[in-house]
Amino acid sequence: MAQSPPETPFGTQEAFHSAFAELYPRLVSYARRYGAIFPEDIAQESFVILMQREVAVEHPTAFLYGTVRTLSLTERRPMKNQNLSLEVVSEPGLAGGADDQVLNQEVRERMRLLSPTFREALWLFVVEGLSIREISDILDIPEATVKTRIHRAKAQLKDQLNPSGGVHVLV
Amino acid sequence: MSWSDPARRFEPAEDSQLRAELRDLLGLGPMMAPSAAEPTAELKALADDLRREAQRRSRTERKRPTWGLLAAAALPLLATLVGLGGWGFQQKHRADDLAAQTQRQEQELTRLVASHRTELARERQAKEEVQHQLQLASRKEIRKSEPFLVIPVGSPLKVTGDDYQRVKQNPQH
Repeated sequence: MAQSPPETPFGTQEAFHSAFAELYPRLVSYARRYGAIFPEDIAQESFVILMQREVAVEHPTAFLYGTVRTLSLTERRPMKNQNLSLEVVSEPGLAGGADDQVLNQEVRERMRLLSPTFREALWLFVVEGLSIREISDILDIPEATVKTRIHRAKAQLKDQLNPSGGVHVLV
Repeated sequence: MSWSDPARRFEPAEDSQLRAELRDLLGLGPMMAPSAAEPTAELKALADDLRREAQRRSRTERKRPTWGLLAAAALPLLATLVGLGGWGFQQKHRADDLAAQTQRQEQELTRLVASHRTELARERQAKEEVQHQLQLASRKEIRKSEPFLVIPVGSPLKVTGDDYQRVKQNPQH
């Protein structure tokens, strides 16, 4: 008698395995960027919380990133750094290791020069490859705000490449 | 992403183009396709462990009370409130009745007092009238019974006992 495979937030068990294999290192890296002391634990806890839910989430990826973000900030809270966010802790040397695995020195420097407000949205969009909708869910801000931040980050990047001046139009 | 995710599937082309432009500006190069390599046995085991942990927590975790349970818990309180409300309404009704009754009694008493006063005044007036009449009558009686001097005469006019003449008493000096 054939037994039906148990469902997961990502579909079949095989789909769950492949999703876990792809997302887990990214989530660990993301937690590390927030200066989490135990980023692996936070990433694993996020998966457990996702699978514990009785009601399926619409965007599991966004849910996982949002949970990692919340848990990382909560972990730092006893250190009285409640206002810390990715913008603050992603300075080179503070959360070292995460960037080194993904970005080279030049890219890190460009990201560092960006306004902290736009850096997180840019990171999630470009490096993590998340959609505007997912970033909106993770940061709990409107999609239009996410787009605005990304476009302004783009303008700042252009300014970095063309410091002599020039007019940028937000497209 | 290799799994089905609606948000990823329906990403507009302009967003993908924007991502490509930004990667270019950052010097990251084109986005790498997800590796189709088979997950390692270690990662598979970890994923299964996490899944079992989630199932264990789901089984052991105390469930949040549902609306039905909350309603059942609130039912005694609701019944008490309804009972108290009904009792209060009844008491208010009784108090209103008593107040109306008291007011009616007060009005009746006021009316009785007013009628008694009128009657008393009438009787007092009648009494005064009677007293006035009595005084008048008394004066007349006194006038009738004023004293007269009786002077005997030598030869009575009649043999009868009326051998005296009435004269007015002279005023005394």
